[in-house]
Amino acid sequence: MVSVAEMPESTSLTVVNQPAPMPEPQVERGMIEIENLDFKYGAHQVLHDVSLSIPARAVTAFIGPSGCGKTTLLRCLNRMNDLIDAAQISRGSIRIEGVDINAPGVDVVDLRRRVGMVFQKSNPFPKSIYDNVAYGLRIAGVTKRSLIDEAVEKSLRSAALWEEVRDRLHVSGYGLSGGQQQRLCIARALAVEPEIVLMDEPCSALDPIATAKVEELIRQLKQEYTIVIVTHNMQQAGRCSDYTGFFYLGRLIEFDATAKIFSNPAQRQTEEYITGRFG
Amino acid sequence: MNAPRHILGTFDEALSSLRNNVLMMSSLTERSLDRAITGLMQRDDKMCAIAIADDEEIDQLEKQMDKDGIDLLLRFQPVASDLRRVVSAMKLSSNLERMADQGTNIARRARKLNQHPPLPEVDLITPMYTHAMAMFKDAIDAYVREDVELARAVVPRDQGLDDMNSAAGRRLIERMAEDPSQLRGYLNLIFISRCLERVGDHATNMAEDAVYAAAAEDIRHQHSTSAANG
Repeated sequence: MVSVAEMPESTSLTVVNQPAPMPEPQVERGMIEIENLDFKYGAHQVLHDVSLSIPARAVTAFIGPSGCGKTTLLRCLNRMNDLIDAAQISRGSIRIEGVDINAPGVDVVDLRRRVGMVFQKSNPFPKSIYDNVAYGLRIAGVTKRSLIDEAVEKSLRSAALWEEVRDRLHVSGYGLSGGQQQRLCIARALAVEPEIVLMDEPCSALDPIATAKVEELIRQLKQEYTIVIVTHNMQQAGRCSDYTGFFYLGRLIEFDATAKIFSNPAQRQTEEYITGRFG
Repeated sequence: MNAPRHILGTFDEALSSLRNNVLMMSSLTERSLDRAITGLMQRDDKMCAIAIADDEEIDQLEKQMDKDGIDLLLRFQPVASDLRRVVSAMKLSSNLERMADQGTNIARRARKLNQHPPLPEVDLITPMYTHAMAMFKDAIDAYVREDVELARAVVPRDQGLDDMNSAAGRRLIERMAEDPSQLRGYLNLIFISRCLERVGDHATNMAEDAVYAAAAEDIRHQHSTSAANG
């Protein structure tokens, strides 16, 4: 059995059956580099030659009309698309902290621990609040109660949920409001100490107050985590993110500081999309 | 605006209404200044009174534009060029209102001058007025047509107006010394000259806002920055 303290602390991804490449000197924890990425669902290509560097410990938003490939790209970052038949990266690479995550032998389970994900609809397990957060640790083999207690509290505090649930940790996660459930899912993702958190429209089903709480949480989390968020809510992208990428028809049209994108984008298509002239 | 229409038609309507109000306010301001100067040149107190009365309508339009602008920000949360258009329109309305105030000031001074014998030095005002109004019209044209080059070209022209104001001031002070009996009249002309100099300042501000609206570039205070850096 492995304890949290015994969990690997290296900043590079674990590669099974072959030595992990030495991290490049300039590589920063949580940094993502995407190069010339093409992605296909069968014969249908949905990402075309996407290249960008996602800065570490900052919030990067992907925006664009439905079907533009932003969620597909997000799911590439922790290889969630592996679960879809005929879905494949046909060209290019994604490197996290300098390591190609699609290289043969990369431990996908370890990758997904390091690159956590929060989905559009909150999806707590049919378990208690405590067990939801402890789930990933137990999967990782942590059994020591005190370590799990500590990690659960820390994760719930990080997800700004602790004060609301500390007295009912052992009631079902389903008993929480929608916003609380989403923050519970964020706590669950944080419990396994990821470097990167992916969020796929995390507030689309939440009311404005719950949305504000999640957005405030995102702001706090970026001190420690690299956050990539897909959102259809342009105001949310403007409020929450430091960098924004605009996608259209599977191509990255523009990537820049959010302030620049929303005040004076360089590309006409970006301007027309964000100002509501097409989409 | 050559950009395609918004998906949301009401957004286009609101932006269009704001722009039309800028045009309305600028034509009222121009008319008010024209009436004030006519009142001065033709010694027409009635025209001066009309110019002063015009100010109320312009004040109300400024308030309406602020209300419309805030309403637009609240309802549509504009970004990029749309946001710049709204912000610039609101700033333009403030400059237009203050420009119209200068018209009122000129009309009030003109009424005082009209109570005394005419002063030939009133001719010093004509070229200043022509210069200031040309700047004003070009600034508005630049804003409406999103003509960045025209807007940029307005800014340095303010120096010419400043120079004319200084020259007029010197000349009028000389005349005060030569003819102290007309001291009040010359003082009023100095104030009118200064009002026109302020009209030029507002036109410059508006041209700067036009550049910001069209090109997202803030060209304000560049001379002072470069001077400080130098």
